[in-house]
Amino acid sequence: MEGVSYARMPRVKIRELKDDYAKFELRDTDASIANALRRVMIAEVPTIAIDLVEIEVNSSVLNDEFIAHRLGLIPLTSERAMSMRFSRDCDACDGDGQCEFCSVEFHLRVKCMTDQTLDVSSKDLYSSDHSVVPVDFSDPSNHESSDNRGIIIVKLRRGQELRLRAIARKGIGKDHAKWSPAATVTFMYEPEIHINEDLMETLTLEEKREWVDSSPTRVFEIDPVTQQCSLLNYGFGYALFSAFIGNAIVNSVHNSKLLSLSSSRIISRTNSKEWCLTFIVMVVDAEAYTYDDEVLKKAEAMGKPGLVEIIARQDSFIFTVESTGAIKASQLVLNAIEILKQKLDAVRLSEDTVEADDQFGELGAHMRGG
Amino acid sequence: MNAPDRYERFVVPEGTKKVSYERDTKIINAASFTIEREEHTIGNILRMQLHRDPNVLFAGYKLPHPLQYKIIVRIHTTSQSSPMQAYNQSINDLDREFDHLKNAFEVKCVFLLFFEQYICKFYDIIITGLLVYLGILLNIE
Repeated sequence: MEGVSYARMPRVKIRELKDDYAKFELRDTDASIANALRRVMIAEVPTIAIDLVEIEVNSSVLNDEFIAHRLGLIPLTSERAMSMRFSRDCDACDGDGQCEFCSVEFHLRVKCMTDQTLDVSSKDLYSSDHSVVPVDFSDPSNHESSDNRGIIIVKLRRGQELRLRAIARKGIGKDHAKWSPAATVTFMYEPEIHINEDLMETLTLEEKREWVDSSPTRVFEIDPVTQQCSLLNYGFGYALFSAFIGNAIVNSVHNSKLLSLSSSRIISRTNSKEWCLTFIVMVVDAEAYTYDDEVLKKAEAMGKPGLVEIIARQDSFIFTVESTGAIKASQLVLNAIEILKQKLDAVRLSEDTVEADDQFGELGAHMRGG
Repeated sequence: MNAPDRYERFVVPEGTKKVSYERDTKIINAASFTIEREEHTIGNILRMQLHRDPNVLFAGYKLPHPLQYKIIVRIHTTSQSSPMQAYNQSINDLDREFDHLKNAFEVKCVFLLFFEQYICKFYDIIITGLLVYLGILLNIE
C-alpha cells in the first residue's frame, strides 16, 4: 500500500489572536479531529501548578487544606511545561522539590503587623525559578494602577501569619483541573444560511420584521435598498416621491419611524426613471446563529416553510480558545497538536506484535491451504 | 476511600503493553486492538480515519467501562488489506494530517505576529504610500 494516503490537508485561518484568546477557522477536516483537538486542549496539554504544600505557620482564618487548594488553583506561567518532566517519570529525584527537571519551589511568608487587613495574594509567592511565576493579570496599558494585586489567597488581620513552602509540578487537566491551561475551548460548525429571496418578497415589511425578530441572536437584519425598477408592474396606486424624498425615507426607516408600513415597497420617480425602495432581509452575522431553529419554526408558523435554509457545514469549524494565562492561546493550540501526535505515536503497534502476527499469519495461510 | 488513583487513567502500568492485537477467530481479516489508557480522543479519530479507507469494511471503537481505562478498536477489512495494515495506515495518515495542521497554524501565527509588529507600526506610512500611489493612478487617468 505504498503511496496510498487518505490523509487530509486541513486549512487554518486565524481570525483573532491575543495572548489569552484565539479565534480561528479549521476547514477540510471532520468533527472527530476538531473534537480531539478540543479535548486535548482542555485535559491533556501540560502546565505547572502547585501540588505539594508544606505549611509552617498558619494562623489565618482559613484552614491548611483550604489554603493548599487555593494555591493549587493559581495559574503559573508554564511555557517550560512541555520540556519539563513529570515527577513520576523523573529519575533525578523522588519528587520532593529538590529537582530542577520536574519541580519548582515557592515560598510565602506574610505577617500582618498593622490594624489594616492585609491581603495575601499570588504576588506574595516567591518562586525559585523566574520562568515559573504566578500569572500577571495586570493591564499592561494601565501602568500606575496599583489596585491590581494578583489573586487573593487569604486576608490577614493584625497578628495573623502565613508561612509556607509549596512545590509546583507538571501535570495535565485529566489528573486535576488545576493543570488545565484552557478556560474555555469551543468549536461550532460553520453555518451556511440561504434566504429564499422570492419567498421573502411575498412578506410584508411587518412580517419581515417579525420574522427577523424571532431569532434570539442577531443573525438577520432588514436593509432598505433603492433600486431602479419598472413602475408598470406595480400600477399607479403607489405614492410617487422624488429621489430626494426617497432618500429621506431611507433615513427615516433607519430611525424606525416608518416601521408600521404595510407594504415592503415604496416607489418613487425622478424624471423618467422609477425607483423602488425595497426592504431586503440580509444575513448580517451567520455565526451568531446558535442552531436554535427559532427562525425555521417561525417561518413554518407564518406558513412559509423553506423561507430560509440553514446548513451546518460538516467540514468547517470555528474554534474559540481561551487560556487561563498559563500558556498563550496560540501555544495552547500548537501544544495540543503536538500532544495528539505523541499520543498517536504511542498507539503504534510495537515490533514484536507485528512479528508475532506475521508468523501466525503464515500459519493461518497454510491452514487455509495457501 | 477505595477510589482508584487519578493517574491510573493515563499512566500505563509497568509490564502492560500499550497496544495489544487480537485476531478474530472466525472471520478472516477481522481483529480487535486493545489500547490501554486511551479514550474517545484517540478512539474516535482512529475510527473516522479508518472509515476513509475503502478497504475497511467495519471500524468501530468502544470504551467498555468508565473504570476500565482502555478502548477496543475493531477493524474488519477486505482481502486486499488486513486490519493491521489498515490500523498502521490510519495512524500514519493522521500523523501526516496533524503535521500539516501544525505547520499551517504556525505559519499563520507567524504571519499574524509579523503583521502586528511590523505592518501595524508603520501603517500610517503605508497608508500615505497608498494614497500617493492612488493619486498617481488617478492623475494618469
